[in-house]
Amino acid sequence: MRERNSYTILSNIQRVSSRRVNLIALIAVIVIAGFTAGCSGDKSILDPAGQAARDVTLIWWIMLSFSAVVLIVVTVLWLYAFKPREVTRTAAQERGIARRWIIGGGIVLPVASITALLAFGVPAGQRMLPLGEPAEVIEVIGHQWWFEVRYPNAEGGEVVTANHLVMPVGEPVDFNVSGADVIHGFWIPRLGGKIDMIPGRVNRIRLEADIPAVFGAQCAELCGVGHAHMHLHVESLPREEYDAWLGARQDEQLSALATADADQEEVRDAFRTHCASCHQVAGVSSGNIGPDLSDIGSRATLGAGVMVMEEGAVSQWLKHHQTLKPGNRMPSHGDMDTDTLDALGAWLETLSP
Amino acid sequence: MSTDSTNTVNQAAAKQDPQQLHDDLHEIWGNPKGLKALTIVNHTTLGLRFMVTGMVFFLIGGILAMLVRTQLAMPDQDFMSPDIYNQVTTMHGTVMMFLFAIPMLEGLAIYMIPKMIGARDLVCPRLTSLGYWCYLFGGIILTSSLILEMAPSSGWFMYTPLSSSEFSPDLGSDFWLLGITFVEISALSAGVEIVVSILRTRTQGMALHKMPLFAWYILAMALMIVVGFPPLILGSILLELERAVGMPFFEVAGGGDPILWQHLFWLFGHPEVYIIFLPAAGIISTLIPVFAGRPIVGYGWVVFAIIVTGFISFGLWVHHMFTVGIPQLAQAFFSAASMLVAVPTAIQVFVWLATLWLGKPKMKLPMLWVMGFLIIFVCGGLTGVMLALVPFNWQVHDTHFVVAHMHYVLVGGMFFPLIAGLYYWLPLFSGRMPSENLGRWGFWLTFLGFNGTFLIMHWTGLLGMPRRIYTYDTGMGWDIYNLLSSVSSFVMSAGIAMVLLDIALHFRFGKPAKQNPWNADTLEWANSMPPSAYNFVSLPKVETRHPLWDDPNLPYTMAEGKHSLAVASHGRREMWGTDPITGKVREIIHLPGNSWWPLFAALALAVVCISLLVRVYALAGIFVLIAGVFLLRWSWENGTHPKAAPEAAVTPGDPPLHSRTMDGPGVWAMAIFLIANGSFFLSYLFGWFYLWTVSPEWRMPDISPLSLSLLVAAGLAVSAGCGVMEKLIRGLRHKSDVGLGAGLYLVGGLGAVQVVFTGWALYGANLSPTETSHDAVMLFGLIYALFHGGLAVILTVLQGLRVGYGYVGAYAPFEPVVVAQLWRYNVVTFWVLVGALAVLPRVIGS
Repeated sequence: MRERNSYTILSNIQRVSSRRVNLIALIAVIVIAGFTAGCSGDKSILDPAGQAARDVTLIWWIMLSFSAVVLIVVTVLWLYAFKPREVTRTAAQERGIARRWIIGGGIVLPVASITALLAFGVPAGQRMLPLGEPAEVIEVIGHQWWFEVRYPNAEGGEVVTANHLVMPVGEPVDFNVSGADVIHGFWIPRLGGKIDMIPGRVNRIRLEADIPAVFGAQCAELCGVGHAHMHLHVESLPREEYDAWLGARQDEQLSALATADADQEEVRDAFRTHCASCHQVAGVSSGNIGPDLSDIGSRATLGAGVMVMEEGAVSQWLKHHQTLKPGNRMPSHGDMDTDTLDALGAWLETLSP
Repeated sequence: MSTDSTNTVNQAAAKQDPQQLHDDLHEIWGNPKGLKALTIVNHTTLGLRFMVTGMVFFLIGGILAMLVRTQLAMPDQDFMSPDIYNQVTTMHGTVMMFLFAIPMLEGLAIYMIPKMIGARDLVCPRLTSLGYWCYLFGGIILTSSLILEMAPSSGWFMYTPLSSSEFSPDLGSDFWLLGITFVEISALSAGVEIVVSILRTRTQGMALHKMPLFAWYILAMALMIVVGFPPLILGSILLELERAVGMPFFEVAGGGDPILWQHLFWLFGHPEVYIIFLPAAGIISTLIPVFAGRPIVGYGWVVFAIIVTGFISFGLWVHHMFTVGIPQLAQAFFSAASMLVAVPTAIQVFVWLATLWLGKPKMKLPMLWVMGFLIIFVCGGLTGVMLALVPFNWQVHDTHFVVAHMHYVLVGGMFFPLIAGLYYWLPLFSGRMPSENLGRWGFWLTFLGFNGTFLIMHWTGLLGMPRRIYTYDTGMGWDIYNLLSSVSSFVMSAGIAMVLLDIALHFRFGKPAKQNPWNADTLEWANSMPPSAYNFVSLPKVETRHPLWDDPNLPYTMAEGKHSLAVASHGRREMWGTDPITGKVREIIHLPGNSWWPLFAALALAVVCISLLVRVYALAGIFVLIAGVFLLRWSWENGTHPKAAPEAAVTPGDPPLHSRTMDGPGVWAMAIFLIANGSFFLSYLFGWFYLWTVSPEWRMPDISPLSLSLLVAAGLAVSAGCGVMEKLIRGLRHKSDVGLGAGLYLVGGLGAVQVVFTGWALYGANLSPTETSHDAVMLFGLIYALFHGGLAVILTVLQGLRVGYGYVGAYAPFEPVVVAQLWRYNVVTFWVLVGALAVLPRVIGS
């Protein structure tokens, strides 16, 4: 009884499988088409924009194809083994067959694949190493829950921004990363692999952008309640624009910008009262607990990627930041009146060199 | 000990009435009812308790997973706050790993191993019981944090500094560290006794190369637990000390290093993956030959693969840390090693394939789950090889790709085989067969739901979605894949619910099973179904890998008492103690009966755990002492104690009782425990040298604060104590116990001298362990030495007392041999410690 059952089931499986082959093929085509169309994205590894990322993507597709073949072959062999056969073999023949399976599939197959993989993969890893001639250096420091970005070699003096990283196109950039409090993860998926930002250490990774574009990035290592709201806006610019961008962020330019409008002195006073102990605005304050705000008006986002920067955004942020980014370290501003917050917001938005 | 002598016993036994024998054995082994059921030490009952408890925790972990998928189903959801979400994901991983996967498989091993190797129980039954209670209490303490909304929230690997008191000031991390350490006691005790059971209690004639493959897998798992868990226990203790007292082991400013935690965690964490996978693969290797109707091909290959996997798995931990900035050369090494582990795994996969190929396989319900395992696990293995490639790892590390890979390996590599095994052994548990229909529905829903959830999740990861984010913006291209994953995860939940329902219903409605329903080859099917407390009326001589295929009548002749040890008149719980390699009978092991002490000790430890949690240290200290008293009282009821085996008479021709020899299982248990302890000690030394060489702000005093002369004096004392101990043992070996009691007191005295000198050195060092990690590490090492010195003194003095009571002597020389091993261990570790802490810094300088 039981014997017959299992055979019935087995032949059912086979019948079903032959009938469904066409359907499965169709689904496969749709799925593959869907996925290929879905490769792009701000943070997609499969839409590389730099050599390091491109190498990895190529390796991925090769590994995927090879793995798919292995998986399918193993599965087919497995199912095929259930097919009833009337073969009589001697013990010696059985031993021979078994040995071929075990040595072929268990040793030769994995050793050959691993050798090929390492031959392919190790050189790709080299490209992300800071080797060879010195490159542009950008320091990125992870804080709970924002990124501090520093350009130590900028002509005219170090430039400091937050949550907005600008890099030159077509040349290697060394990112020296570290963590100010807990461990964070530095990762620009379209440019290449990630590296941890660890307190007490400086890790270095070399990346290069091929095209002038905007790339998504966000913290990759769980760092507390704000982990999901810790984004970095990355923009690659041609060298001249990059230099100009840095030039516009020299201390004196930023100070001039912040203090240019004499009518705003009242707002600056409010800023000094409420914000200065944590935030720096060149020429106004020098707090260093929260992000530097000297060029905040020119940034693409607010709150490390929580809001898009647009007119009135800063004031909205100041009023609702604990809802928009729960648990962030800035105290709630319920004690301040709306007018002050609006005025502060409007003034900060003007800080756009 | 010869075959002839035991045959005489067999013939004597054969004359007894089988029913009478059964009743008599039941009288000795049977489980008490009511409140006294808490005292049960029987492996069958405790194995089932482990598995049922594991299933309850599995349901809790599963509900947490469903909460996670609900939250992630769509962008910008606010179903959970980020804090709650972090608690839920952390607890999902923690519960599944520590409270489900490992205890569940341990429970299966505890239940199955004695039955498979022809024994009547595990070799340390009270330890099984202690393990269960520690698991239960630890699990309850840990999960209670969820109800209190104080659950750990730093991820299941608790990376510091996020988990440190500065960034996680609430009790969450403490719940994790203390609860997990408490649960680890259970894993370690199971690990130790399973190793000893497999090596020393296989039935007569079952040589190592004749034992069922499942036992090989479990032996490897147990040894890996013994070596692999201590680094995590050390890490947890250090982190808890940092949180509670401020000893800066991991804090950069104090000279510590957060990366040390990662090393200690993954030193445990990677072997852990194989600790979970190996028993599951053992289930596969057990089922496939049965359903293929032929012996497995390449038994030797599989054993080779198991051993190689065990070794390689301890060399892979750094592949979890490729992004922390490890030097290139190390990365290349760990990358290659990580890929190499594919070789033993592939060997097993192709052994299974070849076995099916050469057999006549039947697609019964358990085999359906085996098929699901194969597809999922091969897929997980392939992504595993991908992840071992450093540049690819840098891209997908900490994304949903890794989450998907991990679930393919763990669910495919553990859950599917587990269900296959549960269905396969159900008739043994209940005497009833599983249904085919509901079970098939359950399988297909689980299989499709699983792949729907996690196959797609690889893609989400490739599109750049990091793990552990509680929300995401729309427009990344992640929305549809997350929704599909979430919907599929609910399909999977429905499938699992159906499986559990099927299993529950079968206890009531399943068709009664016939003896050995799957026509299996191994001894567990010679049990009655469900099994009796003593497993077998008589213990057979087994010299083949397939006892039930070669002698289908074996279950009946065993039940009729036609094999050995079919004696109940002495009232002892007896089974064979056999040679670890050949399986030749060496002695009769008599096991202790039911006892309250394990429960009491576990309760006291639970109070310690809770007191530490709420930081009432005085109470914790008191209950440490109470637990110690309970444990010592437990050890008192051994050997020739009236509650153990006061009479040593055995059937003429049988070997002696183990407590009357010098090589009983306790010697082995102590040795295995000391291996675990050694792993702890080596992890500590690793931490010392790691911080010394790597820590960014390590500060070392110019002159070592430890007095070398005091430490050398202490070392000489412990060495002298060990020397006297060895002399006493030599005397016992020559059947002489002249001056044994006085000698033991002298040894204890020398131990006390060591403790005093070590304590003096510690006092004189004037350490400030909350200021620098250097002093903190030093304090920890000296306390380790003090603890072990003190323990050796107490145990030795107790032995002296037992000589006075007449429990120990030339006729019962067993226990001093056990204690002597601790002395040897103490001598070695103490001198190494002196060398590492006091001599090397003087030689090398800061």
